[in-house]
Amino acid sequence: MALAVAALIAVLFSAIVGAAASQPPLAAARYDLGYLLWITTAQATLSTLFSLIVGIALAWALNRLRFPGRNLVVGLFASAIVTPGLIVAFGLLSVWGRNGWLSRSSDALFGAPLDISIFGLGGVVAAHIILDGAFAARILLARLDALPEARLKTGQSLALSGWQRFTIIDWPAMRGTLPGLGAVIFLLAFTSFPIVLLLGGGPAVQTLEVAIYSAVRLDFDLNAAVTLALAQIAVCAAIILLSSAFSPIPTSLSQPAAMHWCDSIAARSGQWFVLVLCLLGFGLPLVAVLGDGLTGALSLAASASFWNAILTSLGIATASAVLALVLSLAVAASRAASSLRWFRIAVGVPAYAYLAVPAVALSLGAFLFVRELGIAPETAAPLVVIVANALLALPFALATLGPAFDAIVRSRGKLMRSIGLSGARQFREIEWPILAGDIGIVVALAFCFSLGDLGVIALFGTQDFVTLPLYMLRALGAYRTNDAAAVAALMLVLTIAAFVLIPRLFERLGRARA
Amino acid sequence: MLALDAVRFAYPGASSEYRFTMDAMAGEVTAIRGQSGSGKSTLLDLIAGFLTPASGTIRIDGSDVTTLPPETRPVSILFQSETLFEHLSAARNVALGLPRADADRVGAALTEVGLAGMGGQRASTLSGGQKQRVALARTLLRNRPVLLLDEPFSALDDETRATTRELVLSLTQKHKWATLLVTHHADDIAAIAQRVYLLENGELELSR
Repeated sequence: MALAVAALIAVLFSAIVGAAASQPPLAAARYDLGYLLWITTAQATLSTLFSLIVGIALAWALNRLRFPGRNLVVGLFASAIVTPGLIVAFGLLSVWGRNGWLSRSSDALFGAPLDISIFGLGGVVAAHIILDGAFAARILLARLDALPEARLKTGQSLALSGWQRFTIIDWPAMRGTLPGLGAVIFLLAFTSFPIVLLLGGGPAVQTLEVAIYSAVRLDFDLNAAVTLALAQIAVCAAIILLSSAFSPIPTSLSQPAAMHWCDSIAARSGQWFVLVLCLLGFGLPLVAVLGDGLTGALSLAASASFWNAILTSLGIATASAVLALVLSLAVAASRAASSLRWFRIAVGVPAYAYLAVPAVALSLGAFLFVRELGIAPETAAPLVVIVANALLALPFALATLGPAFDAIVRSRGKLMRSIGLSGARQFREIEWPILAGDIGIVVALAFCFSLGDLGVIALFGTQDFVTLPLYMLRALGAYRTNDAAAVAALMLVLTIAAFVLIPRLFERLGRARA
Repeated sequence: MLALDAVRFAYPGASSEYRFTMDAMAGEVTAIRGQSGSGKSTLLDLIAGFLTPASGTIRIDGSDVTTLPPETRPVSILFQSETLFEHLSAARNVALGLPRADADRVGAALTEVGLAGMGGQRASTLSGGQKQRVALARTLLRNRPVLLLDEPFSALDDETRATTRELVLSLTQKHKWATLLVTHHADDIAAIAQRVYLLENGELELSR
């Protein structure tokens, strides 16, 4: 299974390199690679910096405050990891756009609409801060919630001030995570596709990913696309190599310590201010998506192509999730079973390598490969989209299951061997009851990633093969804003439902077995 | 001196209740022994202010501290681990004992616990015994009348343990602290405790 994962990446990469080798050297001349690299890097750097600042502030506020519904709020921010960028970008347009809520309210109240443009660098960075800031907060909150109670008690009995608590206790707990977390956020922003496509506002602000899409889909310039894809893969691989030196991000999300720290009134006010601001920033676009979606829902219900897109999306997402689960289980179990360092690296690296291959670049590789085989891209489209979406979810799936499998082998490996447990029986009796919750998270992540994917389907979508994100993009392109709003709302509901319900379902199934 | 009078406490949803009445004298080590889960740490949390009793009073040198928050209670506390902030130097850890601690007082406290000249060393590089001594130096600087020790010697080897508990005893006697030692090690109790309570079924019973 690990070999198949490695073979696939080799095939797709060689398809891109092969295509590049057969092209004239100045293939990307019409795309200014230097400028694209600069603007993508600048955008990703700003997004990373502000996301980390927001993440730290929000994690601090959530760690200290206790209020009814806190778990729900924490869950809302945790869902940022699976909320499709397309939805957040659309939500920002609904709130901040020229015809958005704020502009309409300003017009009604003061007789003049708001003169703010959400398009351009500011809008792109804002959307990334909303998504990645919430993601960062959830990761950092796990660090703060995991602080040993004895350390907190010592600090409190020493009467540490709010600032001392932050610098002496909180910051040391978080700072080790920041480089790795920053690298992941940088990578997400660097390879951002739907957000930049919707909010970039034109060629001045775009990512390499969007330029690849434009080269293939709009300019039919495969030479340029190949050159851009190679540049993109090289930069992403460099970031991953660099970030691998940093401490990993914790995958398990802990419960807050029972002890409650008493902050000063000023600190408490600051925490509420941060929380309310972040709730508005993250929640308002999502509420706007749901609110605006209701207006277009009725007219869409009569559209056969809409129902077709729903069924296609659900089918693709389910198949991708199952494939991602099978691949990650196989890789995680085989890695855990071996103590040989080289074997563990050889098995794991191909799976993690998909972090370096952004969706559009992966899609381009698949596009070139099926063309080489003489297969029409539309014939291979469903299979390619399923496999590509599963591969893109694989690093996250492995990051969740890998440490869990390792922990089981570490703590129970000798016992399992001594009583002769192995293979399917070992999985059924030991690993499944323990890991059902983690497995549910993997399925939910892969399902949601696939449901919101635009990068792969953008190149492989046809008139008949349309998923919800592509349907929404086309509706926006045709100025059918109400239809787009309804699709965005549906995707949001489906994503949140899947993210909440699938892990619970698996946990219940695991408990039934135990 | 420390006095608990009919202090009652129950965790939310728990059917059992703790009822604590006890005294700990200044200049003495009072040991609390009991099985795991008997409520030893709950007792310390109540005295330190991390938990609030449902009823009863906690007095320190005659003053009622029952409702005071942990940061203002005249109490120092030492745990088995996490007594120091590992990324700070030994001196900075000690200096946290006072809002404005000068280098001379920090140095003197470190000298008193046998760590003269080690203030610049990072806490993470210290041995288990040295860490407990640094924490004791911080306690010296705070100089609160009550010292709570939650299994402080458990992670130490026999030799370090013996010297550390001797240090605790001598500091207790010299500074007239009422020291409360929670442990399940009989040799710790035999070595330094003048008074022993047994915690069983949620109640304290004076056994020595």
